[in-house]
Amino acid sequence: MPHHPPPWLKLALAWGAGIATVGIVALVIVCFGYFDTTASTPHPPLVAWATHMTMKNAVRRAAAKMPPPSQFTAASVQRGFAIYDTNCEACHGGPGVPRAAWVSGMTPSPPFLLGAARQWTPNQLFWIVRHGVRMTGMPAWDQTLSQADVWHVVAFLEALPGYSAADYARLRDRTQLAARDAARRAKSESDPDR
Amino acid sequence: MRLRRPLLALGAPVVVLLGCVQPPEAPAGPGVGDPERGAVLMVREACGACHEIPGIQEAEGQVGPPLHGVARRTIIAGVLPNTPDNMTRWLRDPQAVVPGNAMPNAGLSEQQARDMAAYLATLR
Repeated sequence: MPHHPPPWLKLALAWGAGIATVGIVALVIVCFGYFDTTASTPHPPLVAWATHMTMKNAVRRAAAKMPPPSQFTAASVQRGFAIYDTNCEACHGGPGVPRAAWVSGMTPSPPFLLGAARQWTPNQLFWIVRHGVRMTGMPAWDQTLSQADVWHVVAFLEALPGYSAADYARLRDRTQLAARDAARRAKSESDPDR
Repeated sequence: MRLRRPLLALGAPVVVLLGCVQPPEAPAGPGVGDPERGAVLMVREACGACHEIPGIQEAEGQVGPPLHGVARRTIIAGVLPNTPDNMTRWLRDPQAVVPGNAMPNAGLSEQQARDMAAYLATLR
């Protein structure tokens, strides 16, 4: 009597074989290093799409649970610019301001942020700056900036689409002058001869 | 060895697939732009953060003009006739062409700018 396996068994075997193949391919990639981990070429399009999409959706999901921020003040924008100038500009540039030369060697490439406020809500920007982005080179700034400072950076990013290159350069001059004055004042106060 | 052979046989197609996504080494001479190298540079320089660029991954920026059909455009940045030399000049030194505009001087070499201009020339 010929023996026919029941259809459910055939289906189960087919699925099992499929899953095993995927597992073996994954294992070969991991064990023998068959994946380009260099930063000297951009991601293949599928990897770029999948990683970026995952990041966007993860940020959206996390930031949706946060309460909305209070209104941003001009002082907050100014303070945010000073923080951006020191910590962010090397990688992200500004209006008319290039990124540091070595940044074009990064994969993925850190974006200019002139349009960031149109792309993300304040909560989402806060989440990205505070927690960083894994496998991109974006640090979690909660290690070095207070929550208030991260909000200042967000306030600045929200204001950034309104700045021309000239506005931005003026803001930079003003901030650096203020920092120099503050340093001079601190020095003269601590100087016992004066 | 007995175990390694089938593993390699399974791995080979993966290697071939991954090999396909590597950009080929293009030996373009001076003065001649290589569009493929230009496309890689556009990703590296994050042009897509500000511009929509067909064929460049994640290039969905809404800061500067979209670059669909830029090869058919008559004038670059409102001031320069759209020739390969002028596009190269604009990409290398946008601040000299239109002082105070938002596009930074990215520090591109002549050849890098030529390669990017060659890619843009394919966007008809």
